[in-house]
Amino acid sequence: MTQPIHVGMADLVVSKHPATLITLGLGSCIGLVIYDQISKTAGMVHIMLPDSREAKNIPKPGKFADTAIPLLLEELAKLGVNKSQLRAKMAGGAQMFSMPGKDSAIFAVGTRNVEATTKMLAAAGIRLVSSDTGGSKGRSVEFSTETMKFVVKTLGSGTKEL
Amino acid sequence: MEAMEHTSDFTNFHMDAIREVGNIGTGNAATALSRLLGRTVDMDVPVAELVPIYEVAAHYGAPEMPVCAVLVRTEDEFSCSLIFMIDEEKANLLADLIIPMDISGMDEDTQLQIRDSALSEQGNIILGAFLNALAQITGWVLPTTTPAVARDMLGSIMDLVASMFGVIGDSAMLVKTSLHIKDLDSELGGTVIMIPDPGALEALLSKLGVL
Repeated sequence: MTQPIHVGMADLVVSKHPATLITLGLGSCIGLVIYDQISKTAGMVHIMLPDSREAKNIPKPGKFADTAIPLLLEELAKLGVNKSQLRAKMAGGAQMFSMPGKDSAIFAVGTRNVEATTKMLAAAGIRLVSSDTGGSKGRSVEFSTETMKFVVKTLGSGTKEL
Repeated sequence: MEAMEHTSDFTNFHMDAIREVGNIGTGNAATALSRLLGRTVDMDVPVAELVPIYEVAAHYGAPEMPVCAVLVRTEDEFSCSLIFMIDEEKANLLADLIIPMDISGMDEDTQLQIRDSALSEQGNIILGAFLNALAQITGWVLPTTTPAVARDMLGSIMDLVASMFGVIGDSAMLVKTSLHIKDLDSELGGTVIMIPDPGALEALLSKLGVL
């Protein structure tokens, strides 16, 4: 296995085979992978928030769903992928805390991240083949260009493969 | 630091004021916890620092370390979230200090529920005392929400914390203080993190007469 590449908060990494992309401890954030199985090329982004429109400046486009996905597609295009082959997998968007009787937008950020990411993928015409989102537990994720599998690990309830 | 928004305007003077709020808040929290446990509780000198949100996750330790976090919010004249965070193993020891019976024979789910309930109460006392100190300094009324407890990876908790700061800008004002409970076989300690809502830090500094 290749040395894994850590995709930190708001980071965006694209790579040709062989590569292993990982993100440890996703909470409300989203780990999104877009890949091309034929050319064995993949990119991962660690999305923090749904919408860039209220931000005064955007030093890292990977931070927001609406800026991350266009940039990820652009970076993949530079590596020569065939856009029609692209597929997506995602995990994350948990609601870490729940407050009884409180409908605080702050805690629902995970849900809004999932919605915004799904919407952006649909708008870009990228098929989301599998996802593991929501719930109340954080996740660590790993994607390998060898298998094109997205391995999702949750504390206390083990590992699943997407 | 690059790409700061309004947080770039914070000077050492402001940081000192925020650190002092952390100091008084944690002092009060230590006293409250000491009273609850009937043990000596020490605190570290608080640290107030501006950290790029992208580095928040790695700031407190290994991302996959299991922790327990208690969160309360106050939403009125001053809106902020407060988190008390402690290693999961230590959290269970802390909980057991106020559980008046031996629960080790019970099934795991029941043990977890009893401990979470104890931790939620302890977190509530610690964070409530922190806010009470803040209320005394400012004259604000700061009612708190019911505490919420999460057991998860450190990275996942901090992932949410970073996103909460991320709404405002690209840096997080982390006020970090640690409490240590003495007279025990193993050292027990946790961290208090204050996460002001957008604009709240400015309101606080202005109230303290330093902005």
